[in-house]
Amino acid sequence: MDDATSQLLPVEGTSPTDPAALARLRRFGGDKLLREMIDLYLEGAPERLVAARTAVATNDLPSAELALHSLKSSSAQLGAARVGKLSERGENILRAGSMDGVAQLIGEIDAELARATTWLSSVRDGGDA
Amino acid sequence: MRTIAVVEDNADNRLLLQAILDGQYSLVEYDNGIDALAGLNASLPELVLLDISLPGMDGNEILIRIRADENLRHLPVIALTAHAMSGDREKYLAAGFNDYITKPIVDETILLGAIERWLPAGGGRLG
Repeated sequence: MDDATSQLLPVEGTSPTDPAALARLRRFGGDKLLREMIDLYLEGAPERLVAARTAVATNDLPSAELALHSLKSSSAQLGAARVGKLSERGENILRAGSMDGVAQLIGEIDAELARATTWLSSVRDGGDA
Repeated sequence: MRTIAVVEDNADNRLLLQAILDGQYSLVEYDNGIDALAGLNASLPELVLLDISLPGMDGNEILIRIRADENLRHLPVIALTAHAMSGDREKYLAAGFNDYITKPIVDETILLGAIERWLPAGGGRLG
């Protein structure tokens, strides 16, 4: 898939969360790893989003791309699927040398991250995935 | 136990690699290229897992420096990347990486298989 194609992937059709990702983490390292990974994500993901927003505000495309790339990667590993897809969309726009729509996209990521945070917090605190 | 260097800036990815490789390999971790190049020279691992998207010096630049360093150029280096575009594998192999693993890590046997494939034969198994 090339960059242009992946920009057009339908995010709306992506389930917000992917419980299979959490099952994988349990397989890799049990509940202990799952809880630690969730804690790191809940700490790191908002920081990456702030970094992306700040970079966009200062026209720093490479830093914005790196922040959204990190957010995409961590979100996919933690099952925050829609955060991951939206971040990938922003990353691809920035890699193509544009910032068109990225500020709005960051707003959408923020809202999805809130939803993912609620879900992951519940899993960490003993709820079901 | 055989030693693998992990160059990865994201703490969550480092933790995941620890969980998957713990007990099988001894890991030495670096979160940036400058520290990694200094550390690799000071304490030579048998293999390097190298993230591509790093702040400052990225994985491609680190690889160029590894391949240009007489002490390091023989090291097997496996790219870790969440860039999963078609043709990327060929691009990274052509750049001098020995192998290429995509993130998120879904099937740990692909990572373990790549490590086994590229670790130099012999050495360290009794340690």
